[in-house]
Amino acid sequence: MSTILQLLVSGIMLGGIYAVMSIGLTLIFGVLKIVNFAHGEFLMLAMYAAWAVVSATGMTTYTAMAVVTPLLFCFGLLVYLLIVRPGIEKPHLVVVFATMGLSIAMQNLALVAMTADLRDVAPLFGGTPIKFGPLYFRVELLLGFLISIAITLALMMFVKRTYIGKAIRATVQDRDAAMLMGINVPRLFLLTFAGGSALVGIAGCIMLPLYSTFPTVGLNFVLIAYVVVVLGGMGSMEGAFLGGICIGIVQSLSGYYVAPAYGQMFYFLIFLLVMIFRPNGLLGQRGAAMVGINE
Amino acid sequence: MIAGRLSAVSGVQAISLSIAPRRGAVSLVEIAVLASCIIAAAVVSNRYAVDIMIRTFLWAGLALAWNIAGGYAGLISFGHAAFFGIGAYTSTILLLNFGVPPWFGMFAGALIAACAGALLTRVCARLRGPFFILSTLAAGEVVRIAALNWRSLTGGPEGLEIPPVPNVVDMVFKSQWPYVAIIVAYMLAMFALSAWIEQTRYGYYLFATRDNEDGASAIGINPSHTRTAAMALSAATTAIGGTLFAQYFLYLDPTHVISPDISFQFALICAVGGLGTASGPVFGALIIVPLSELLRGLLSQSTSGLHLVIYGIIVIVVILYFPSGVSGAIGRTVSRFFPAGGFAARVQTEKYDAQA
Repeated sequence: MSTILQLLVSGIMLGGIYAVMSIGLTLIFGVLKIVNFAHGEFLMLAMYAAWAVVSATGMTTYTAMAVVTPLLFCFGLLVYLLIVRPGIEKPHLVVVFATMGLSIAMQNLALVAMTADLRDVAPLFGGTPIKFGPLYFRVELLLGFLISIAITLALMMFVKRTYIGKAIRATVQDRDAAMLMGINVPRLFLLTFAGGSALVGIAGCIMLPLYSTFPTVGLNFVLIAYVVVVLGGMGSMEGAFLGGICIGIVQSLSGYYVAPAYGQMFYFLIFLLVMIFRPNGLLGQRGAAMVGINE
Repeated sequence: MIAGRLSAVSGVQAISLSIAPRRGAVSLVEIAVLASCIIAAAVVSNRYAVDIMIRTFLWAGLALAWNIAGGYAGLISFGHAAFFGIGAYTSTILLLNFGVPPWFGMFAGALIAACAGALLTRVCARLRGPFFILSTLAAGEVVRIAALNWRSLTGGPEGLEIPPVPNVVDMVFKSQWPYVAIIVAYMLAMFALSAWIEQTRYGYYLFATRDNEDGASAIGINPSHTRTAAMALSAATTAIGGTLFAQYFLYLDPTHVISPDISFQFALICAVGGLGTASGPVFGALIIVPLSELLRGLLSQSTSGLHLVIYGIIVIVVILYFPSGVSGAIGRTVSRFFPAGGFAARVQTEKYDAQA
């Protein structure tokens, strides 16, 4: 009984971390209607940046967030201006292929600059888990989960309360109408892309203590992020959180009861089943998948 | 790009594939010239050059196969490595366990891949744009993980090895030249198939379905059948390429054969060369494969991976600034210098680009 409880709780915490990793992707998809195929490499960059800050200054990855998040914001800005903006007015395949080219270039640039060695940071408190009743937690997992809840709530408040948030919701619903209402849509695109990248920066900082980083680390996680985002409904932040939790639980349970290798297969199969039977995800807009975008 | 701008602004993606010119921008003659250049170079040069040439033509054929679904039907698949793997593994397993020659085994692989492709298209029939792309990616991963863990059949992560004993029946040769012949034949067959599709009624059905699905069904085309057939054909021909790959390299493992990188490579070759034309994938392969092999050779001493950085940057630049690919750009340049040379296809492409 306590095994199942332990697995469920670990799965939920892992899911929170998957949610942070995916929330930038879903935000960018909702507003710009593009899938950033270099999302995994953004995460890889964030993890390397966090590692560099930690090993240079000796602070924890959580304080390194203060450096990594603005850095990823600026990187997102740069990528938007150089690659996404020239392509966004062209057919959607242009952005797909351009971000894919970016992904290949970044992955191999990391290989050239950092070699294929695994980079990691020392665990907090010497890696002793926290005991809570019959349950054990890794400190980093608990912290990551708490941060992910804080981020999701803050983002939801932001989208609900602020002017920019309102503009984001309007643009997600109807880009043309938003533009006609005087929303500076191109500026909003820029902000959303950079903001989504900054969220990846946060994700990189909370994931570095849990996983080590290497040049192709992004591919593993980006596939999970796609599953999470599709499961939750593309463009939905609450959906991403819910989707993350679901995938976390599936991974945790299947890793224990079935072989971990088949655990991966499980969530791809879930992904395909969702795509077949409920292509708009749990909380996505109706009809989105039929036109390929949320119109 | 007025229409493209409109589509981005209004969110209407009906013409989302309009970067694909409808007809070949460059004629068969030019392809033949380029191909014979490379063959001539290979004749005077060494084993390494012939190896690059074989890889180039194999990738050209595979990209042409991908293009049937991705270019002509608009079914952008990032899971084609699964079909490639199915082809390679089916013929190899048949050869190793039952002694079936790959000459027949490749058709068994093609049949299985065609069924898998048709099934995938059917179950994802309602999905468009990124939703379809991501589903194919997930399907590819399912096949990869299955191949990785089904040890009794596929040998798991250690992979399968074809004994390097030269034998015509087993499609294993000592010299490279029989491979050149087989792979060039494969590429030419794929090119002929693509050119033929462009001319037939079925090809027009495909273009109509790709460019305006509602319009196509209004004039009596069944979009679902049209798409499914294109994916099945594309999967089957990709599987045949997979068998040829297995027979040339004599070694298979899931990580290298069914990885998403292979699928991306199919798509990127087409994107760089020119999506939706018969000459585009050939041009893409003629540029990308020798370039990355040569860069790998030149740069490998200093740093591994640098050639792929350059490759990625080339992809970004080409796709952003020449969205109709290198073949589209060449077509436009040629028709500027020879405006009335009877190059109907080129003029049409240019007109089409101007509209788009």
